[in-house]
This record gives sequence, structure tokens and C-alpha cells, in this order.
Amino acid sequence: MQINWLLIGIGATAAVVLLFRDWRLTVPALLLNYVALALFLAQQRFVEPDLTLLGFGLSTLVLVKLITGVAVSLILALTALTFSREYGLENLDEFGLAELRRAARAAQRQRATTPFQLSDYVIPFWAGVLALLASLTLPRIYPIGPSLAVDFAWYWLALTGLLTIATASDVLKIGLGLLLGASAIDLLYTAVVSAPLASGLNVVPLALLSLFNVLLALAIAYLAGLLYGRLKTLELNELYKAR
Amino acid sequence: MIYLLLILFPVTMALSSFVLRRRTGLAIFIALGTVLTMLLIATRIPLDNPTILLGVPLTLSPLNRAFMLLFLAISGFTFVAAWHLPHGENFVPITLLILAQVCAVLLLQNPFILALLLVATSLTAVLAIVDLPAGASSLVGTRAIATALKYLVLMVVAGMLMYIGFVLNDIYRPGELPDRISPARFILALLAVSFALRLALIPFHTWLTDLVDYAEPLVSTLIITLLNTTSLLALILVFQSFPTLLLESEGALGVVRLGAIVSVLLGGWLAVGPTTLRRTLAYLILYNGGMVFYGLASLTTLGLAGAIFGALNQTLAVTLLFVSLALLERPDGRPPGVLRRDLLRRWPVAGAGLLAGGLALVGLPPLNGAMSHLLIYQAAAERGWIELLPLLAGTLLAGLGLARVAAARLLGPGEEAATAAEPLMLGETELDRPARRRLEPEPRSTAVLTMLLLGICLAIGLYPQPILATIDEAIRGLAFIRAL
Repeated sequence: MQINWLLIGIGATAAVVLLFRDWRLTVPALLLNYVALALFLAQQRFVEPDLTLLGFGLSTLVLVKLITGVAVSLILALTALTFSREYGLENLDEFGLAELRRAARAAQRQRATTPFQLSDYVIPFWAGVLALLASLTLPRIYPIGPSLAVDFAWYWLALTGLLTIATASDVLKIGLGLLLGASAIDLLYTAVVSAPLASGLNVVPLALLSLFNVLLALAIAYLAGLLYGRLKTLELNELYKAR
Repeated sequence: MIYLLLILFPVTMALSSFVLRRRTGLAIFIALGTVLTMLLIATRIPLDNPTILLGVPLTLSPLNRAFMLLFLAISGFTFVAAWHLPHGENFVPITLLILAQVCAVLLLQNPFILALLLVATSLTAVLAIVDLPAGASSLVGTRAIATALKYLVLMVVAGMLMYIGFVLNDIYRPGELPDRISPARFILALLAVSFALRLALIPFHTWLTDLVDYAEPLVSTLIITLLNTTSLLALILVFQSFPTLLLESEGALGVVRLGAIVSVLLGGWLAVGPTTLRRTLAYLILYNGGMVFYGLASLTTLGLAGAIFGALNQTLAVTLLFVSLALLERPDGRPPGVLRRDLLRRWPVAGAGLLAGGLALVGLPPLNGAMSHLLIYQAAAERGWIELLPLLAGTLLAGLGLARVAAARLLGPGEEAATAAEPLMLGETELDRPARRRLEPEPRSTAVLTMLLLGICLAIGLYPQPILATIDEAIRGLAFIRAL
């Protein structure tokens, strides 16, 4: 049996997003996931190649997916990198500034008193195991795509995305989960609708899918920025505690 | 070309008003001009005359045009209301952007594009939820951020489910696999959950209650009227495009109707419980949303007419409710931090608007909700008492909820009347006493707007025939109703 390394790449990178908390790991994993997915689409040849890049035949669609992945990852990475900057303080009154100082102290205290705990990874780990079992079983029970590999890939991406949202402890992680889900529907659409019996791929939904990925990343970056500006942390428990 | 104008013109005007966002008056003036121009363009578009653009058909049905005109009018009302009511710095450009997206949803006939555009409208609406007024000296509330995050996640999940449903439907051929369970039910389940999330049916409703609680009333108006009603029209388009889904899932439709009945009952029941004014309004909207969804899921001519009329009424009633609510919540010149019970006396126009909006949602005559409710009751009666009784019980509970909140917040005695005039003390004269408070009346433009909306609701309630005739005409053009 031939090993499909691209499929393993999609699986492993999505698993990293599900398991880990640090954006320095998860955002690059998301970028690699987009790259693996684009190359997987090229390998499966849902669309005939119409470009030659470094001696390889590629379709424009694959290139668009790569560009989308880079754009999305850059948006999230740049947002995370610029969290230390302060925005819009000039209009704040003394109460607002005092509230910010209090939030910064609380966030600093929380970071200092929360060491690395293995137990934080138990739920995401078992969620990942569950998603893996489901992704291996569902393609046999309910095949939708043209091959088992495609079905495994989209089921895995959708389930890890959903479980990432369910187990997320911060806003950025929720965004990563949503983006994994968006990749799943992107793959499903490209693989299924390009089949001979289906209606055929249309350029507008494909373009909108890429745009949707970028807009989603922007929305998450904006909300993450707002939350950090307000509470000096991205932790969801702080957001709900503050309520 | 004229189709594209309807989509691209508000986008360019949104950019212009974004540049001028700090000059609120000018931005509102630009937005009103844009809405008027769009109204003119919408009336010029030929009906049912498809055009292909990049392989995607664009067309405008009579039903979609009626709602497009309604959305444009509602947007115009919110812009007028924004003159005096609190709103975010970017409210005008965001509303124009949403209008462009809503027009695209109503014009484009491709289900994949429809799903993505619906999500795009929600992503844009998220910006409005966390928007602060220009030059605000406070921080964005954590509750507003949490509401925006919840709304974003749920709407993206709804969009994904819808998209998967459409992809499955693309390869589904009826009767292809007779030995297996029909995929039509699975597809219908995906679409039902997805639209239930978008329309905030119980138990997928928490985003709506949070939104009403923590967002500015004008933002809530925008989301509930434009976005939810557009979702309902999108659902009608889905039924129209894929009638086989309905033909093969008769039993599954019963479950969908049951979900709507649960939403009606629980919405009414929650409204009766002691809670805040905003929360009660949210529950009344949930109740009414359930009624509208029931009408749609009944898949009869009567039910569908009731649902479409109900959606139109809901759009008007919710606008009236939230404009009135925003007026009632303005600082009224009296000491803050006290729960007032005389809001009708203090703000007579806004108080009357709130009561009328609530009555319209509950479906009591002579307001506009009465006829749509009647049609939906008739559709339920065709299926038997078992479906009609819970709907009537839900209405009764919602009515009680409205009566409770009216008694608690609106109809109490005036503050001046409640405090008896104390007699003069020895040596005290009238001049020694503090001057009588002169409380500001309601802002004139917003009061006129409220009365106009109230008048429209009343006029539709008293004379619904022209609208009913238009809806009947539109329903006759729907192939899925004929097929069923």
C-alpha cells in the first residue's frame, strides 16, 4: 500500500492545531495545513493543470489556495505579534485607563500562576482520538467524495475544526477551528462538485470561498485584538469571568 | 449591469461614508441618498428576467423585490433613527455594506454563493456589534465582545452546515440507492439545523438573546430584520430549487414543524418569567420567529402566505420595537439608577411604539401581525388540533409576557403623581423650594419615525388585502408549492 504523505500532512497539522495552545505552534501548523491541502488538490487532479511552476504542472486553483493559506496565516500571525501595541488610548478617560491597568495586572498574575499542566491537553487529546476514529469509519459508512482519501481528509478537517472550537480556551484557537472547518468545506466542494455527475466547478463560489477564509481570519483577528485591548489576554475564561 | 449596480453602488457609498464616519450627519445624509437611489434602481429592474454573470444566474423574483424594497425602507428608517439614537462610529458604512450583501443574496440564484454570502453578512454584522460611538471615552464592553464572538461562531457553523447540505444535494439523485436511507433526510436535517441557527429557533437561540441584551438597539434591528428575514427568503429559494428534498422527506418535515412549535411554546413561556425589558422583547421575537418558521414548514399555501406575511410584519414590528426601546433607554433627566415604571407617561410615543410592536409580534388585532397569525393558525388547523393548540398556548403565554412587562415598566403611575406634594413647613415659602423639573420631550424626528412605523403597522393590520394579494401572486409562482 502506498503512503499518501500529503494526507498525513493534512492530518498531522490539523492535530497540532487541535492539541496545542501556543499560537507560535498552531499558526504555522495552519499554514502547513493549507500547503498540504493545496498540494493534495494538485495530486488528486480535480482540475486540470494550466500552469507550470518550477517544472511542476499546477492548476490556478491550487495556486489560489496557497495564496489564501499564506494570507490567512499572515493575518493571524501579524495580529498575534502586534498584541503588545496599544490602540485608541487617546480618547479614554481616567476610568478606562485604570480599568486597562487593572486588566493588565490580572493577566500578568494569571500568566505567572498558571504553569504548564499536562491535564490541559487531556480533553483535546481524547477529542483528537475520537475524531480520528470517526474520520476512519465515516468514509466507509457514508462515502461522499470520489475516493477514501478525500473523504478521510474532509471528515478529519471538519471534525478537528469542530472539536478545536469545542475545546478552545482562547479566541485565536476558536478562529483556527473555524478555519479548519472552512478548509473542510472547500475540499468537499472542490472534490465533489468537480465529479462528472455533479454540476461542475464555478469560479465565483471558488473565489468566494477563498475570500471567506480571508474575511474570517480578519474577523477573528479583529475580535482577538479587541479582547486583548480590553483584558490583556485572549483567554475565554477571563472574558466570561469579566461578565 | 443594473443588477451589479444594486450590489456595487452601496459598497462604494459604504467606503465613502467610512471616510466621513466621524461627521455623523453627513454620513447619514449620504446613506439616505444611497437608499433612495437603490429604491429607484430596484423598481427599475425587470422581474423574472435572468441574466448570466460568470456562469451564475442573476434574477429578481416579485417576492424578492418586495422584500428588497422593504429592507431598503427599513434601512432608511434606521438611518433617520440614528440621528438621535446611540449607534457606533461605523454603523452607517456597515449597514450599507450589509445592504449590498443582502441585495446580492436576493439576486444571485446559486446555492453555494448564497451560503457564503449569508455568512459574509454575519461577518459584517459582527463589526457592528462591537462598534463604539465616535470619540467614545469608554472601552468596548466584554459582554459585547462575547456576544459578537458567539454570533460569529454560530453563523459560520450554520454556513458550513448549509454548504455541506448543498454539496450533498448536488450529487444526490432521487431513488438512486433504494436499499439505503434516503440522503434527502440527511440533507434536509443539515439545512434545517443551519437555518434554525440563523433564524434563532429554540434551542439555537442564545445568540439572539445576547444580541438584544448587549448590542445597541439599532444594531439588533439591523441583524434581526435584514439578516434573519433574508435567511428566511433564502430558505424559500432552497425549497424552490430542490423540491425533491421535500417530496422525499414528508416524515422529517414533521420534526421540523415540531421544532417550530417548541420554539413558539418556549418563547412564550420564557416571556412570562420575570426578566428585563430587553430580554422579554427577545423572547417575544423568538416566539414570533417560531410562528413564521411553522408557517413555512407547514408547506401549504396558507402556511406559506402566513410565513411570508409574518416575516414582513416581524421586520416592521421589530424596527418599531427597537427604535422605541432606544428612545425609552435614553437618559430622561431624572436621577439615574432607578427602575422606572412610568415609561409610557414619560415617553408617550416610545411607550406606545413599544406596546404596539409587542402586540404586533403577538398577533393581536388591529395590528399587522393579526392576519399572518390567523393564516398560520389556519394552516395548523388543517393538520389537526394537536398542532393548533400549542401554537395558541404559545400566543397566550407571549401575550401574558407582554402584559407583564407593560405593567412592570410602562403603565405605572407617574413619578410626580406618586410622590404626594408635601405641605410647606413653618417659615418656608414656595420660593424656597427647588424649581419644578422640566423634562425634555422625545426627539422630534425619532418620535415622528416611531409614529410613522406605528401607523404603517396599524394600516397593514386594518387593510391587509393589497399585501395579501401580492403574496398570493408570488406564492403562485413557487414551483415547490404546486409540486406538493
